[in-house]
Amino acid sequence: MERYVLGIESTAHTFSVSVVSSGGKILSNSKSVYKPPEGSGIHPFEASQNHLAAASGVLGDAVRGSGLSLNDISAVAYAMGPGLGPCLRVGAVVARTLASSLGLPLVPVNHAVGHIELGCLLTGARDPVVLLVSGGHTMVIAYSGTRWRVLGESLDLTLGQLLDQFGRHHGLASPCGATIEEAASKSSNYLKLPYTVKGNDVSFSGMLTAAKLLLDGGRPFADVSYSIQETAFAMVTEVTERALAFTGKNEVMIVGGVAANKRLAGMMTDMARRHSATVTFTPLAYSGDCGAQIAWTGWLAHKCGIEVAVDRSDVLQSWRLDRVDIPWRS
Amino acid sequence: MTESTSPGEAEYAAGRLIYKGAEADIVRGQWQGLDAVFKVRKPLSYRLKIMDDAIRRQRTIHEADMIHSAREAGVASPHLFYVDIPAATLVMEYVDGQRVKDIVGSAPRRVVEAIFGEFGRSVAMLHSAGIMHGDLTTANVVKRGGELVFIDFGLSLRTTRLEDHAVDLRLIKETLVGAHSQIAPYALDALLGGYAKGVGPARSRAALKQLQNIERRGRYARVA
Repeated sequence: MERYVLGIESTAHTFSVSVVSSGGKILSNSKSVYKPPEGSGIHPFEASQNHLAAASGVLGDAVRGSGLSLNDISAVAYAMGPGLGPCLRVGAVVARTLASSLGLPLVPVNHAVGHIELGCLLTGARDPVVLLVSGGHTMVIAYSGTRWRVLGESLDLTLGQLLDQFGRHHGLASPCGATIEEAASKSSNYLKLPYTVKGNDVSFSGMLTAAKLLLDGGRPFADVSYSIQETAFAMVTEVTERALAFTGKNEVMIVGGVAANKRLAGMMTDMARRHSATVTFTPLAYSGDCGAQIAWTGWLAHKCGIEVAVDRSDVLQSWRLDRVDIPWRS
Repeated sequence: MTESTSPGEAEYAAGRLIYKGAEADIVRGQWQGLDAVFKVRKPLSYRLKIMDDAIRRQRTIHEADMIHSAREAGVASPHLFYVDIPAATLVMEYVDGQRVKDIVGSAPRRVVEAIFGEFGRSVAMLHSAGIMHGDLTTANVVKRGGELVFIDFGLSLRTTRLEDHAVDLRLIKETLVGAHSQIAPYALDALLGGYAKGVGPARSRAALKQLQNIERRGRYARVA
């Protein structure tokens, strides 16, 4: 018999609710995305106010959109972390309220694990090396011995932060990835930027400073955008390639908001071909933050008996994915 | 550079690909009658050519230099036969042994501890000589008889900075926790024990503290 899980995502700019079935069908995925003013980033409190105002409407849309009623739901999943505290708390309050009033189990989900598991559901990847690239994460991940393990990551900024902070320096509003990609496609003038790979890890802070200086020195936005993309994407492609060679796996999957970038996709495809590995990308509609990642992972956790009592359902702002046991894969 | 063929080219062509790494192809063959490996940094088409050529050649020259420096510091590394800069190729001695990565999974705890104790002492010798290996995964250390031979100095740096040395230790830790989670707790202890013996307790403590600082700088870090 099909069962249904409702999942709530509210780790950063997106408040989203989704209903998925135990068979892996996404019945609804409604969201409200907080947009910061031009030139600035996410203000956690402002974002949480957006989520508070949007919560009831998004929840209603998600339930109606699923064609079910709340009585058909078997469990309520929420993103327990990692993320921005004020934003996480909004999702947690909605989840607790639903779970207590409906008498349903409350399932805590790690947001990053959610990206990966939804990616696997949608792309059919079974045991991939994962590149998780977003505003919150830049990590190379693979499953090994009960957990998703981090094989490489950024030592400072995430790829999303690099792009956003560079974009904001130019006066854009976050997220800036699409605008930078568009600008970069109009240039082929490479300006040298620091290429910083330390072992399996990357560092972007020096590149951000250098890129800002190039802009300040009058270099065209398109040229600097092109150079940032070429350098930063080559770096993450290199560390993903290293993880692929090291683990001997034969699938690569790219998830997270930056997965939408076509140049990154091109580099990863090129790299994977060299290793006769398949490469998959989470579909655009689900590569960014969404309720479906929480609902689907919530179902996987729920069927393994993972739940949390309402009075212990905290949020964990710094919850690394390699601290989460993954019983449904062992 | 000129179009003339490199001295190692014919031998390289006759060799056998034994490992397709992320960075380079490793080809085993003969060079001037010696059992050799060719480490060829093939062009990576996903990188812009101007960036790729510079990175491959610079890493080739640099690696040759560092392989030699490691041996001067007392750490076993392959003997270099020839450095072909335009082709971004190193020709060196074949190290006949097993990668630590391949033996620690099935080895008893005592053996694992002995290997990682020695691993730690060797890293300490590199660091004391101002060398950061830069890619200390268990795939880059080969056990040959009773000694550990360090290969792949492609990302190494000449540095005495505590930060850089701690980055080295961090990668070993990341590899152990990420790829050898079953042995990680005691392997890491053995490694850090050997390291402390080599660099001395004060420097070792400072490096570990720096390692924690680095981890805290990372995303969502919660350092135990």
